[in-house]
Amino acid sequence: MILGNYLAVAALFCIGLYAVLSRRNLIKIVMGLSLMEASTYLLLVSLAYRRGSTAPVLVNPPKGQTEASLARGNVADPVLQNFCLTAIVIGVAITAVFLTVAVRAAQHYDSLDADDLRALRG
Amino acid sequence: MSREREPLHRPWIAAGLAGGVAALLTVAFVRVHRDDAPLPAIAHRALAVALPAWRTTEPVNEIVYGTRAFDTFGETFLLLAAVVAVTVLARGREPRHEYVGEAVAALGEQASVDPKRPPGSSRARTAEEVEESDRLPVRVADRRPLGPPGLELAAEMTVIVRVAARIAAVVLAMAGIYLAAWGFAPGGGFPAGAVVSGVAILLYAALGYRAIRRVVRPRMLESLELAGAAAIIVVELLGLTLKGSFTANWVPLGPVGTIRSGGVLQLFSGAELVEVATGLTIAIFALLGMQHEWSPER
Repeated sequence: MILGNYLAVAALFCIGLYAVLSRRNLIKIVMGLSLMEASTYLLLVSLAYRRGSTAPVLVNPPKGQTEASLARGNVADPVLQNFCLTAIVIGVAITAVFLTVAVRAAQHYDSLDADDLRALRG
Repeated sequence: MSREREPLHRPWIAAGLAGGVAALLTVAFVRVHRDDAPLPAIAHRALAVALPAWRTTEPVNEIVYGTRAFDTFGETFLLLAAVVAVTVLARGREPRHEYVGEAVAALGEQASVDPKRPPGSSRARTAEEVEESDRLPVRVADRRPLGPPGLELAAEMTVIVRVAARIAAVVLAMAGIYLAAWGFAPGGGFPAGAVVSGVAILLYAALGYRAIRRVVRPRMLESLELAGAAAIIVVELLGLTLKGSFTANWVPLGPVGTIRSGGVLQLFSGAELVEVATGLTIAIFALLGMQHEWSPER
């Protein structure tokens, strides 16, 4: 039941959003953002799923199928798998940027509390 | 943390907003297509042209480096921008040749540049120097007396972990590179690059920085990273010059299932492998090497 996956996506995204909005600790905010990222990966692979389909690989087709029938579309959506692949790598790099900022902020302000980062406040 | 207790109004406001987004997403997802919907036209096109036009059995590779190569091109430079941001934010006061442990070698120079604060002048600085100098009090975890748990340091890993990590590193690296090189890995260089950077992190965790310091050093990794980015630009620009399209294939195609099947897909994938592997390794080791403060000690 693919609707269950979609609802899990909504739940994961909202847990991440709740963490970002309600927490002041920078590391917890980054964890919330990572949860929101993870929900998009689950959404992409769930959207790519097709009932009764195989992986989009055109070699050694399963019993009862030929390479031509695979190419006609009895496979999971390869475009969304592409999005998911690239999103994971970019997500790791962006998380590294967030964590670097968090470490520098902690070193500079002696605190991980977002409320203590007030250098720009007039 | 200056204040441990979080104010009470935030969780309620956040719960209200997150609940609203949850309701919106649920309404949207009920209307999203289900698992019996037909594939979109671009997926059909990729599946149809993968074997005849590119001689690759991986339509995902064909999309990443062929049909949607321009998108991948942009994402590659987004990754590069993120790595540059990490490098700039994480850089120390002086230029470094290694990520971890170099501060000890520079103690003399530091003393001459900054004579007012000689090395070892504060408890924090002394602890940091001991941590970075590899002069650990206990070399083998088995000899550590029972008591409160100590720091998880690589030099204290047992022989089982160290041998297993050596074996797993070779198998992981070979599997990752083989699958990408022969075009069997969906996504080619992206997952393979993540595997290769994972190998570097595995060896660092199990054997310590000394095991990988010959390869994992800023100058080497940053040069490789930029070489990967330059190779991607050259491969795509040659397509524009020779075939009139930025992502066109200009390499003669080999038989299906060989290293040359896929033509320019394989070149792009290989360059992407270098780019992703070095990019993730730079980002992670730059984070690990962030030990010195910019602001004066309090």
